[in-house]
Amino acid sequence: MTDHTASVPAQTEGMEQGPPQVLGVSDSAPPQVLGVSDSAPPQVVGGQQNGRLGRPLLLLPEEERLLAELHATANANQGGGGVQLSLEVKQHLEEQERSLEEQRVLALQDRKSALLHAMTSSHTGSLGPSEALRGRLEALHRSFTFPRGAMAVQLSTARAGLHHCHEDRAFLRAQQPITAQHDSKAAARYQVFRDLRGRGFYLTSAGKFGGDFLVYPGDPLRFHAHFIAVVLSLDSSLSPLDVLAIARLGSNVKKTVLLCSPGGVQYPGGAGGVQYTSLQWSGMV
Amino acid sequence: MADQNKTDTDSKFYNEVLSPSELFAARSRSHKIPVRGQKDFFPDDSDEQRQRLEQSLNEHWSLISEERVEKLGNLVKATWIPSENIVELQSPAGKFWQTMGFSAGGKQFLFPEEALYLMECGNVQVFYQELPLSIQDGYEKFLYSSTLRLQEYQVFGHLKRLGYLVHRFHPSSETSSYAKQLNLPQSRDRAGKQLKRKRSASPTATSSHTEAQEESTADRMEEDTCGQEGQEDKKLPESHLTISPETSSTQTATASPGNKGGVRTWWMLDDVGERSDHQPASAASRWDFSSISFPDLGSSRERVSSCLVSPDPSLLPGALAVGVCDVDPWRTRINLRDVKMSSKEQMRKEEKRRHRSDKDIEVRRCSNWAEYRQLMERRQGRRSKGRATHLWDGEVTPLHDPRQPIPTGELLDKISVIKSTHLLEGASRLQASDEWRISFNVYQPDTVADFKKSNPGKPYTRMCVCSFDGPVPDLRAIKQLAFQSGDVLVVFAVVDYGDISFYTFKDFQLPTDVFP
Repeated sequence: MTDHTASVPAQTEGMEQGPPQVLGVSDSAPPQVLGVSDSAPPQVVGGQQNGRLGRPLLLLPEEERLLAELHATANANQGGGGVQLSLEVKQHLEEQERSLEEQRVLALQDRKSALLHAMTSSHTGSLGPSEALRGRLEALHRSFTFPRGAMAVQLSTARAGLHHCHEDRAFLRAQQPITAQHDSKAAARYQVFRDLRGRGFYLTSAGKFGGDFLVYPGDPLRFHAHFIAVVLSLDSSLSPLDVLAIARLGSNVKKTVLLCSPGGVQYPGGAGGVQYTSLQWSGMV
Repeated sequence: MADQNKTDTDSKFYNEVLSPSELFAARSRSHKIPVRGQKDFFPDDSDEQRQRLEQSLNEHWSLISEERVEKLGNLVKATWIPSENIVELQSPAGKFWQTMGFSAGGKQFLFPEEALYLMECGNVQVFYQELPLSIQDGYEKFLYSSTLRLQEYQVFGHLKRLGYLVHRFHPSSETSSYAKQLNLPQSRDRAGKQLKRKRSASPTATSSHTEAQEESTADRMEEDTCGQEGQEDKKLPESHLTISPETSSTQTATASPGNKGGVRTWWMLDDVGERSDHQPASAASRWDFSSISFPDLGSSRERVSSCLVSPDPSLLPGALAVGVCDVDPWRTRINLRDVKMSSKEQMRKEEKRRHRSDKDIEVRRCSNWAEYRQLMERRQGRRSKGRATHLWDGEVTPLHDPRQPIPTGELLDKISVIKSTHLLEGASRLQASDEWRISFNVYQPDTVADFKKSNPGKPYTRMCVCSFDGPVPDLRAIKQLAFQSGDVLVVFAVVDYGDISFYTFKDFQLPTDVFP
């Protein structure tokens, strides 16, 4: 099954307004639901499954951490904030009634216009039909029903209280960090993730390929992965059998295996700190 | 796309709540799913690539940001009960009730994972404290409990979207394979049905007498195999039934009519009485077989009278009167052809006749089996030159004496270093671990038509959910899960941040090349 991703497009819709927020779910226990706001970098990717194209998106823990560092996420666990329950219920019911009325009006309009369209298209330019038309319209008025069950209702994805205006975001941002990551393996993974991201690659998870990340040169929607990134610490030893296994795997799927070790030489550009070793199956030299 | 609501002129902010006009307009949404075409290998800044990328991004984006809109009439109302981690339906359930949910105390309930899945599908609207829950609320509230992790929910949703029927697994409600083998009746009327079935399937049941005989003999055989006490006469597996008519019919053919009634009655008497195992050999001492003649209907050499006389009426029970038995139709059913022996077999037969053991003086002198074996060894030793003594005199001797006959299978077992085993060996001794547990039963999609929630039957597989971050299941875990699952395969669903891979371990026996 190929991995499906979604990314926030770089271009924005309005001048000041960023892309709409995306609801993401982190894969921790208990699952944290996050809102990803508009200042997220364009490479936000979230894995999905089954070709299911709906929210919430699932984020890698590294993605989550990265977004947290960039202050691009908000802990969406805020509730309605002080409004009493009965008031909310009343508000909700009122809104529903209003919505029903408006939709009823709209439905009637819709039917009328459909009727008009049908009538005028069938009869061309004679006087008789106008009376028939009026008669039909009146009949429509009388017999039109818009039962409650026909009303369309929104099943909201995010909680109703989660709006994103600038002041709110500042308030929400205060609730960090979201997940604590203590072990060194996770820290190493995160370092590699950040470094590769900084170089402009897109990353998704690669458990099926025996590695840590799949590295794409461009958006995963359009391009194939080039590398399987396996994160190892510099002083760990690797048995030849393991090297063979991962190299075989890589050559079977036509990807280069990249052994990534954080803590390497610092490149003058400031980027780096991660040492990369690639494994590729070659023929006889 | 959602509207932009302006509350004050200074700041615009973004609101996902749809206005009624948008809700109404949502009826005419297209339900197209973006098609994924061929991927490119390398980004080369070409216009074409950029265009395609933009297009798929836009499609993707518009689908993601779409809000779920449903007609109120299509939604089933439900409420969340946090104390029991369960969702109760307020309005009648829709089509999903066929395969999901359960009813208790007159009300309909859904499990939290089923409720969340249906919420995402847009079939159910769950309320809590009179307000509808959003998907976000659902994820937080339903998956928070220890009974269901996010990963398990992901597997659940994945399988349901593919069409499988997924139910929770309860270890206590699974019948063991032994219980299934015994085919115990679930209820009283089930036993009655089985009785009817047996009667109709019995092929040679003509008189009630013969049928009773079959029952008794089959019962005795079954008793030997199952060793079950207190099982009723009526309830018999059909496999035994197919064997019994043949045995009883051959017995009736070859037994002299004089004993037909007598022997049978003895067996039946004992069966009805106690259930202790009777040795038929002990009963044989009651009868003097030298005086009882069993006509050999199969022999072609001796001349057999074409009919057997009727038995002595004093031996027959009750008012049974048996006439003369015409043997010819029975003889036609027996294969009376001479067995053709190859020349080797004939020679062996001659030799055997010549070396009859009971005429052998030396053998007669042996008083027990040990002495007889020694005699045979001596004879063998005299015949052949003796085996390689240098091999047999040391401390390490050959595994097997080539002059001793041994079937190939046993020889292979002798030389094997690794003993083959099967997955469930020793599994019953293992205790259930907390780390590995079976989460779901999965049934195939094509059973939806006649799926009954009360009696789902044997599942297709069972799922154990884990992740690539966790440990690989060791043999202990695999054995324990296989034992818990019985005869249904256990599949490990490994969740990788949204991607799920399925792995399973199957029992495998190395083929042995043995021809008996």
